[in-house]
Amino acid sequence: MRWSALPLNRKLAAVALVLGAGALFSQPHRGPVVKLDTRELAMIVEQQVDHVTPAELAAWIVEGRADYRLLDLRSESEFASYHIPTAENVPVSALPDFPLQPGEKVILYSEGGIHAAQAWMLVRAQGHAAVYTVLGGLDGWKEEVLFPVIPADATAQQRARFEQVAAIATFFGGQPRTAEVAATAAPGSPALPTVTTPAAPELPSMAPPVAGRTAPAAAPKKKKKEGC
Amino acid sequence: MMTPLYKYGFFGDELSLVVAFVLGIGFGFCLERAGFGSARKLAAQFYLYDMSVFKVMFTAIVTAMLGVTYLGWIGWLDLSQVYLVPTFLGPQILGGLVLGVGFVVGGYCPGTSAAAVATGRVDGMVYALGIFAGTFAYAEVYPSIKAFVNSNEMGQVTLPEVLGLPWGVIVFVVVVVAVVGFWGAGKVERWIGSRS
Repeated sequence: MRWSALPLNRKLAAVALVLGAGALFSQPHRGPVVKLDTRELAMIVEQQVDHVTPAELAAWIVEGRADYRLLDLRSESEFASYHIPTAENVPVSALPDFPLQPGEKVILYSEGGIHAAQAWMLVRAQGHAAVYTVLGGLDGWKEEVLFPVIPADATAQQRARFEQVAAIATFFGGQPRTAEVAATAAPGSPALPTVTTPAAPELPSMAPPVAGRTAPAAAPKKKKKEGC
Repeated sequence: MMTPLYKYGFFGDELSLVVAFVLGIGFGFCLERAGFGSARKLAAQFYLYDMSVFKVMFTAIVTAMLGVTYLGWIGWLDLSQVYLVPTFLGPQILGGLVLGVGFVVGGYCPGTSAAAVATGRVDGMVYALGIFAGTFAYAEVYPSIKAFVNSNEMGQVTLPEVLGLPWGVIVFVVVVVAVVGFWGAGKVERWIGSRS
């Protein structure tokens, strides 16, 4: 039977069948739908093994370690005005499509930490296990690494330790402060250093000066092995 | 351009109401043109001598399904942004049966009753009043049936997920079922028609 002689409903049925057959090869993507192990995630959050401290991160950068991806989740302009050396700018909306290698260590930070914590969940949901946030975000980085404060009544031991912290602060272009200076300083943080990135591998290597402080240069606290 | 337009911020809340109005008028027009403003036509479906409801609804399903599939495939529609009604299997089966009984008894479903009201049919108006009364009664008894209404939750699931089959296979199968169903519906109509 000729096509033009077919009644309309037969023609429509034929078109639907052809389109349906074509759909066999289609790949309409509904976005990644994932299942999360909520109990595991809750445990990680509770045990606080989902973050690195600014001091730890600073030590890694000083050492020139390159086994991590540091992602700055703030806007392009904020990133341009200052960012932690070695960081890459990735707005949260671009995170789902950001190419990360499986098994790669990912460290996230935002201004305060809320966005980073939310992004942490996103990256975890994408199946990456080694995801961490910078404790306190960029604010924490400023306080702890760039502009550390030594208490006025610090003991000799504290002062000796602070020297190492101060060395790191200077290394990153910051400025160690005494408690009095910090107290009299205008509200808001001191002027941020200009960024001299890209950084880590090109930074002069320097003995990790915070060695005696915590256990800084160590890898982020490992989460417990599954099944334990 | 990426769709859904509303989710991608092409228009705001006010304009979305205008768009909904236009789409609603269009939907009602199509229902009326299909003859669904008449309770006789709709009730005929249940006596199997006029399968228009089945054919029209299944045609709409197949058309929308193919449209969504191809738009998603060529990248004009972001399927992750399309809202899916969550599945509550038990409550929805019961709800479907209640709606079905109401459909047979009243001769309309909610959408077609609106079309009937718009064309001035009195039975449609009575039916619409029934919808309001039913909605009110449901809200009143809701606290006592809340546990059941929220049971069997499966989330926003799709057939490809539930059956573990590729999207395209489901699409193809539904199209084949529809075409075979249309052919069968025609047979049933002729068979029932020849008996009466």
